[in-house]
Amino acid sequence: MLNGKIARFAPTVAAALLLASLSHSAEAGGTLRIAMTASDVPTTTGAPDNGFEGLRFLGYPVFEGLVLWDLSRADKLAEIRPGLAESWEQDKGDRSKWVFHLRHAAKFHDGSDFNADAVMWNLDRYFKSDSPQYDPTGSAIARARNPWVSGYRKIDDYTIEIANPRSLSYFPGALAYLFFSSPAQFQKTGSWAEFAKAPSGTGPFKITEFKPRVSATLSRNEGYWDPHRVPKLDKMVLFPMPEATTRLAALRSGQVDWIEVPPPDAVPSLKAAGFEIVTNSYPHVWPWVMSFGKPDTPWRDVRVRRAINYCANREGLVTLLNGLAEPAAGVYNKTDPYFGHPKEQYTYDPAKAKALMQEAGYGPDKPVKAKIMISTSGSGQMLPLPMNEYLQQNLKECWFDISFEVVDWGTMLVAIRNPPTAPQTLGADAINISLAHATEFSRFATWFLSTTFPPAGVNWANWKNLEFDALVDEIEKSSDPEEIAANIRKAHEVIVDDAPWLFIVHDRNPRAMTKHVKGFVSAQSWFQDFTRVYME
Amino acid sequence: MVEVPAVPVSPLDAAEAVGRAQQSKGYWQRVRTRLRQDKVTLAMAAVLALLLVMVIFAPYFTLHDPYDGSVLRRLKPVGTPGYWLGTDEVGRDLWSRMLYGGRLSLLAGVVPVASALLIGGFLGTLAGYSGGLVNSAVMRLADVLYAFPSVLLAIAITGILGSGLRNTIIALTAAFVPPIIRISESVTTQARHLDFVEAARASGAGVLMIIRYHILNNVLGPILVYATSLISISIILSAGLSFLGLGVTPPHPEWGLMLNSLRQALWVDPVICAMPGVMIFITSMCFNLLSDGLRQAMDVRL
Amino acid sequence: MWVYIFRRLLYAVPILLGVSLLVFALIHLAPGDVVDMLVPPEVPREVADLLRRRFALDQPLHIQYLAWLGRLLVGDLGISFFTNRPVADELFSALQNTLMLALPAALLGFALGVTLGALAAFNRGTWLDKLFAATAITGVSLPHYWVGIVLVSVFAVIFNALPAQGMGPPGFPASWEQIKPLILPVVTLSLIPMGVISRLVRANVLEMLSHEFVGALHAKGLLSRRVLYHVMKNAAPSALAVMGLQFGYLLAGSILVETVFNWPGSGGLMNLAIFRRDIPVLSATILVLATIFVVINILVDVLQALIDPRMRR
Repeated sequence: MLNGKIARFAPTVAAALLLASLSHSAEAGGTLRIAMTASDVPTTTGAPDNGFEGLRFLGYPVFEGLVLWDLSRADKLAEIRPGLAESWEQDKGDRSKWVFHLRHAAKFHDGSDFNADAVMWNLDRYFKSDSPQYDPTGSAIARARNPWVSGYRKIDDYTIEIANPRSLSYFPGALAYLFFSSPAQFQKTGSWAEFAKAPSGTGPFKITEFKPRVSATLSRNEGYWDPHRVPKLDKMVLFPMPEATTRLAALRSGQVDWIEVPPPDAVPSLKAAGFEIVTNSYPHVWPWVMSFGKPDTPWRDVRVRRAINYCANREGLVTLLNGLAEPAAGVYNKTDPYFGHPKEQYTYDPAKAKALMQEAGYGPDKPVKAKIMISTSGSGQMLPLPMNEYLQQNLKECWFDISFEVVDWGTMLVAIRNPPTAPQTLGADAINISLAHATEFSRFATWFLSTTFPPAGVNWANWKNLEFDALVDEIEKSSDPEEIAANIRKAHEVIVDDAPWLFIVHDRNPRAMTKHVKGFVSAQSWFQDFTRVYME
Repeated sequence: MVEVPAVPVSPLDAAEAVGRAQQSKGYWQRVRTRLRQDKVTLAMAAVLALLLVMVIFAPYFTLHDPYDGSVLRRLKPVGTPGYWLGTDEVGRDLWSRMLYGGRLSLLAGVVPVASALLIGGFLGTLAGYSGGLVNSAVMRLADVLYAFPSVLLAIAITGILGSGLRNTIIALTAAFVPPIIRISESVTTQARHLDFVEAARASGAGVLMIIRYHILNNVLGPILVYATSLISISIILSAGLSFLGLGVTPPHPEWGLMLNSLRQALWVDPVICAMPGVMIFITSMCFNLLSDGLRQAMDVRL
Repeated sequence: MWVYIFRRLLYAVPILLGVSLLVFALIHLAPGDVVDMLVPPEVPREVADLLRRRFALDQPLHIQYLAWLGRLLVGDLGISFFTNRPVADELFSALQNTLMLALPAALLGFALGVTLGALAAFNRGTWLDKLFAATAITGVSLPHYWVGIVLVSVFAVIFNALPAQGMGPPGFPASWEQIKPLILPVVTLSLIPMGVISRLVRANVLEMLSHEFVGALHAKGLLSRRVLYHVMKNAAPSALAVMGLQFGYLLAGSILVETVFNWPGSGGLMNLAIFRRDIPVLSATILVLATIFVVINILVDVLQALIDPRMRR
């Protein structure tokens, strides 16, 4: 009887063993389950919400833009590389026009071709409000990051031209956030709401299952146009888990293999339990953005601004976070090629800070009083409360009397869109908000140009520095990469020396994962490449 | 979530309570005797009194400022010299945070109930005494608020008005007013029709005097019992709001908020994380047991 | 009797109208709006305003209210600002998920509550009574969401026996895979009903037992099955009534437990909507939950009136 039973099971066992052996080959890479910090699954229509985390998971793996990021190296800043456009150049005669040469081999997940018509159709989705495919929310998101599209036309089946309002050398970088969805699939499904259930992009993964508020499943796209980046993984399942302790419990109990942003206090016990903590340096500053709009602003004197930068004990904060952040002395990291050589090298130097304060006329009997708006949570905000309370204590020694206006994330977003004297600012002298910027220059400029005061833009602080404006102008007009890089460095030096922000720490975007996750290269970027990852 | 208990106040029960209270002097004497013999309730009252004293006079019972933190002192365990209950995630003395936090937590527990008693009691008595249109108007308002489970109402109000102790108190008061209106209206309506009240009115006694001497006296018993159990719920609800980020805001100490902020440190020192929960539990339980004891002593059926 | 039921139902209509007005007023009082949450801060003002126009947020308030009311009456709960999906779909599936927690929690709480309460009353005065009474009080005095966190740490992380969060495969829980994720949240949710019911049952049973004839029987050791049955039958109605209400609370007030366990139910939906200022979802969710609660209240009142005609108001 027993023999009979074994005999019956033998083929099954053999098959299982065969499958198991197959799965150890490099091609079949397993299923990776990830817990994101987002509170809901980002939209799957090719214009993901939930900020840069949405782009990271439901953007680049599934949808692509003309321009992509080089996420293959951990040792240098991730910069842009050709994506769905093989190359591009500014029109020789009119520098405000860009010509893009499209890739021939790319296909959408539903099988239709990627070509100039598809590009035009997608640009209409974002910029032409009377087109049938116009997507108001997607358009708002796209235009927020890319306000420089003033026109576009098809030249031939694989060449298109996009016009800017003026000569803008850094425009291609801004196109990294604009994704293309399949027009054929949209025609088939009829609306963006239906398209979201059966999405189709050109990326290395395709969305094969989508349960609202619960998960999204991404599967390998075998027909991906770049044979070197066909994913090793079979599947990637994404779960929204906004509570840090819930993510932690999910990882430790084996429900997921990878979590974004573990709680810093759990790091030692995670390491002890055999999990890996992966971080990397990338430009993601966590600052106090000082207001220059209020007439009685305490930040008027540059010596005060420099003093506060010398007074902050960044190392202490890093200890608080168990190494999940690193000290910031500018918008870029010291190791970035764009950091430059500013005169002010901010480290913890209370003596220097106090000297500067005294020069500016302050002292133990005359402290600088400032109210900082902080949030209870939010994308990129790290642990706002303990971190800010730490700073409050820390800055007391250099005669800064700091108080807080604690608001929720939504209120903070409202405040930043309005002028610094508006009632929505609640009288704050600075805002602790982590502004999204990446390694291409367009985002960097928007925070500091004098032409982008709210409501026209997001230089909430109303900081104005003509030298900076002039440098940006030169950068925009130039077309020599060396010259541009040199000017970016100079612009950064201006920012560091003039200190319109308190540069506190750089978020190292930590992730915790099990030892079974292999092949992951943590790029110096907000975004990551999942195609080389496999499960063991 | 903890919910305001339903108040199936039958007109019969209310009338009985009123009837019993008519034998005023003897009744309260008996209540006092019964209370004196009930050791558990006395013990609870003593514990609460002690807690109240320690919380009000917190500066005399603590060594450190509850706002004073230092990253070097983070999450120190119980028994650290100078910080006998350990420190929290920013290095503040936990014992101080617990005592000062008790101020806000007890405030968030007692003030909404007291306000609801005043507002609800007034409205309910008014409705019960006036009858007719006024009665209808007040009871309909109560019914609209009653349509929301209290946690839903509290979250909706604080989610919309914003966080902070003030909004928490407003929200919880709004949640507690309807049941109080119902009780006081019901009892007042019954009392209004009783003989001795009719007699008082006939003899020309003023409305206020009638209310004060005859009606209020009778409502007091059930109300007291109900209110003490409400306080326990209020403490838990306000802690829940802070837990969701809708209540008291940092850096102020409050038990519910501490429960949330210490959650992250569960892996470092579970004992410290448990403490605010324990405090909430003890306080809430004391109020509940007190309420039970009062109910038994006053022989109230609610 | 039918007149009473009809009256109660009719009466519910103006109440629900008042509720809708309150919900609408509360939501539109909130500072900040959905556009700020929906799109990045860099959005130029005209684009944000365009979006506001599309969501009809620029219309005067009374027009918005009447339009919303009109749509509600034909069953259109609106479309989510964030996901572009009909609110009705999301709410319906979310309510189903919450029901998966609320129903077992109510039953468990009821069963445990009745058992504990009765046992406490029958063993009045002994240490058993004190123990059961203490357990009951614990149920209503503990912050139950915190108990949930502790349970997760113990059972999911340390013992790795149960899932830490989330819902299992969808559908009616029949397989172990579907039941596993239910256990911890249901136990957590059942604490309060258990506490409330057991206190009530204990009080009612005690009162019954204090009737002379029962006391006499007890003293003689003749607590027969019939007496037991009689006692429980009298204690049952108010227990059932309270249970009904507790079930309503569980259904409408599960937000804290759903936050801890990342359960995609109506509480979580509401939390998300509050955070994102997703007005259609928020207003519809609150209104629907309040309506369910009103209906449950009516059912409970009718039940009580059936049993005790004196209870009719």
